[in-house]
Amino acid sequence: MAETDTKPRIPVTLIEPIDMSRLDPSFREEIRSMPDADELSACFACSTCTAACPIANQWLYKPHQLIRMILLGMREEVLNSKEIWECLTCFQCQERCPQKVRVTDILFDCKNLAAERGIVPEKIVALAKELVDKGQLYVVTADWEREDLGLEPSVPGLSTEAVKSILQGTRTGRLTKGGD
Amino acid sequence: MPSYSLYMGCSVPANYPNYEASMLKVAKALGMELHYMEGVACCGSPNLRAIDYSGWLTVNARTLAIGEKNGNDIVTPCNGCFGSLKDVLHHLKHDSTDLGRVNEELKKEGLQLKCTVRVRHIVEAMYTDIGTDEIRKRVTKPLDGVGVAIHFGCHVLRPADVTGFRPEILRELVEVTGARVVEYPLWKQCCGATVLPVNESLAIRLARDKIKSMKESGAEFATVICPACGNQLDLQQLGLKQSYGETYDLPVLMYPQLLGLAMGIGEDELGLSMNRVPADGILAHLTG
Repeated sequence: MAETDTKPRIPVTLIEPIDMSRLDPSFREEIRSMPDADELSACFACSTCTAACPIANQWLYKPHQLIRMILLGMREEVLNSKEIWECLTCFQCQERCPQKVRVTDILFDCKNLAAERGIVPEKIVALAKELVDKGQLYVVTADWEREDLGLEPSVPGLSTEAVKSILQGTRTGRLTKGGD
Repeated sequence: MPSYSLYMGCSVPANYPNYEASMLKVAKALGMELHYMEGVACCGSPNLRAIDYSGWLTVNARTLAIGEKNGNDIVTPCNGCFGSLKDVLHHLKHDSTDLGRVNEELKKEGLQLKCTVRVRHIVEAMYTDIGTDEIRKRVTKPLDGVGVAIHFGCHVLRPADVTGFRPEILRELVEVTGARVVEYPLWKQCCGATVLPVNESLAIRLARDKIKSMKESGAEFATVICPACGNQLDLQQLGLKQSYGETYDLPVLMYPQLLGLAMGIGEDELGLSMNRVPADGILAHLTG
């Protein structure tokens, strides 16, 4: 399944020395205080997570490197990386970690920190807008298909008002107004 | 007769009414009473968790609180909804600060979550509460030996400590239809649905890897229990002709459709014509 269309590259972290003055030690503490990140510093970079990841072969920063970068305090590189958004959330890295580091959950935390700064892929913002405007990601448009199958044309019990109102008051509401 | 709070989410009713209809028919035949939950909306999917953990907690805690008030277990046919509800419940059971914060918000609607409610995937409820022995009794048209590859979907299997779903559940449920479960190397791998909004070509490649692995292992059909996985494996096969010039013709059935056929429920009632890849082969097998 390996990709063969791109030349193998030496990871940039090996050829470009890390600028120690730019490291932010508070980054690791901030992540560690977030959901499911307690075991963050148990990572010894064995790269089992990377071996389990179905798409690490096309990433510049591999999963074990992202965890190492968090521990080192490379806040900017992590929060601006495309990798955190391309994570499939398949949890295979997390399942295999011998140190119980919740890698996928930690990448969710990173996305939340990036979102707080307004760094979110355009199409994810569009989905968030659907949620805030309509209270659901998908709206029934082909009600005749439902009726053909003996289902009610609209979903029984569906009520979107409360969800819309909850989300308007959260980061989702702010993001969909163009960030702050 | 076991009774359940049915949480549909938005993807199944909007995109896969055939999944919804076949689930309702099969559940009825098995003596399961499914009641649509009143006053609930979308779980937000992992996309909401990614950008707004706090909003995601509240929205799903609200659904859980409504289920708790109803008194029955919540069941859902969608892995995304299942994953969101299970994950939020797991988190709030272990984080009293967040539970308190969420309950402050829910109080406005007169709701409260105590974390006593149980959430299950619909197939899990079929397996546990009805059982394969009872289901077998209702199989009138066994799918003798037809090779079926199972795609479980990530969010039903993992994180295992949160979902508690064992792969054997679906394997046994497929076997009870008389079908033969085809093992294939990439059985644990993601279908790529979650990365679709961020990197479409990567999502298509993942779907292709999966379908190829199933087909090369001798699968005649595939079965799924999630609308997002169904979209990737069924609908994307049309895209694969375009992107890769490859044709697989691997029909993908939602599990209740597969079981429904084995129980002698008509193909129209199961909405088989809405599946993108025609399931003619399995129908020929049944009538032949």
